[in-house]
Amino acid sequence: MTATASPPVAADRRSRCRRWLDDVFDEPASVRAVAIVRIVLGPSVIWHLKPFLADALDGITYHDVFQQQWWPWIPNAPAGLYVALLWAGVAAAVLMTVGRWSRTATWVAFTVVTYNFFLSETHFRHNRAFLIILLAGVALCDNGRVLSLDARRRQPPDDRGLVWPVWLLRFEAAAIYFASGFSKLIDPDWVGGRVMHDRTLRYQDDVRDALGGTLADPILEVITARAFQWVLSPVAVATELFIAFGIWFRRTRLAAVWVAVAFHVGIEVSAQVEVFSVIAIGALAIWATPSTRDRTLVTPSRWVGWLDWMARFDITVVPGASWRMVDRNGTVLEGQAARRFVRTRLPATFLFSRFWRYP
Amino acid sequence: MVIVQLGLVANGYRDPHNYFAFQPFNESSTYAVELVRVLPDGERVAAPYGRWEGYDWDELIGWRALQGPWRQRHAFSGVDAVVDFLDHALDWMADNTPDDTTTLYLEATVTYYRNARGPHVTVIRSHDRELGRL
Repeated sequence: MTATASPPVAADRRSRCRRWLDDVFDEPASVRAVAIVRIVLGPSVIWHLKPFLADALDGITYHDVFQQQWWPWIPNAPAGLYVALLWAGVAAAVLMTVGRWSRTATWVAFTVVTYNFFLSETHFRHNRAFLIILLAGVALCDNGRVLSLDARRRQPPDDRGLVWPVWLLRFEAAAIYFASGFSKLIDPDWVGGRVMHDRTLRYQDDVRDALGGTLADPILEVITARAFQWVLSPVAVATELFIAFGIWFRRTRLAAVWVAVAFHVGIEVSAQVEVFSVIAIGALAIWATPSTRDRTLVTPSRWVGWLDWMARFDITVVPGASWRMVDRNGTVLEGQAARRFVRTRLPATFLFSRFWRYP
Repeated sequence: MVIVQLGLVANGYRDPHNYFAFQPFNESSTYAVELVRVLPDGERVAAPYGRWEGYDWDELIGWRALQGPWRQRHAFSGVDAVVDFLDHALDWMADNTPDDTTTLYLEATVTYYRNARGPHVTVIRSHDRELGRL
């Protein structure tokens, strides 16, 4: 016997699915989160292009060293044009950051970074692939509507645009955590600690050089122990998989973001991964609900307005007033409860909001 | 786009380079290379530290992942990726050393440890150079 959904249930599902697709593809929503990613990507593009430019200043381009073409049909730019393109990428990155001709600048930066990437397989890095994906997603959005010089010239101000690329970016970001975690999960050498242990042994001299013997020796005694890596490796795998799945659900999203920030800081400290840590942490903004000023807040403090980068609140500052917040669904919070809620929604404080102690 | 990304992730289990499959820090493998030049009469001439006929491997390669492979070093992106890159690098080197008029082809003996297991040895070589044209 086969169980089938009853017609009303199936119709309801279809209707919800259609509504979701309408929301994703047709309903304008706030592009503020995308604008934040744009601002993070600007300096990241410059950071990424810096070694290529440094070589170019020394008179070395990809023509002068070993290159392995991805595809023979990709045109090889003459050295002079190649260097000019790199500088065009830098200029575009600056414009992205300040938000002038934002979308065009993002497309230019995307084109330069992508072209440089595909000139040689030796230019491949995972972090650069992620940079390209983020640039494409941000360029597909009308990202200059807010937090930009472009927005200042637009009257009346309106931060809404189509946000279907945000869903694409969400999928890509989650896929990266999943791909990395799953590949390690099914590799006995990885999940069993062998890979991490061997790497730690190999690079222990670097740790000693960086920290000095007195500080490094007790740390190394712990992290080079086989048992430590036997525990740490599955934890690292579980961390990536938790981020990949937990970030999709409202109940676990905050924890997943917190874990992701700690994870990326940990990676950056233990292994330099070029722009990856910065862009991955910046890209966490795309998981914010794309609506702004849909909670009203009465507060005596000006600091909320300064820290509300995601524009979560419609804020009225009243000196001497007590805190009062009305949520999207009409729920009213007052006093300490309102303060606590606000702190869970501000980018600068949400990481620590769970540990915050109130008088 | 979603399907393409899923395809690339799946392809990462076949592709030695894991392009767009996002498998960072996949191995802790190491490798070392012994480079020789093979002359037309079959004589094998060592190229210690990758230097011969005024050429320097490290300088010409210009890419940290393949520089200084004469001592055991970390295999960037895994052994399979490094061997594939070395294979192409030998061809590129054979094409970009015009002042070397005696070498028929370059041969690299790669000794590697995959995640500290080994040693394993594989031999790769460049294509034959057309000495008459040089």
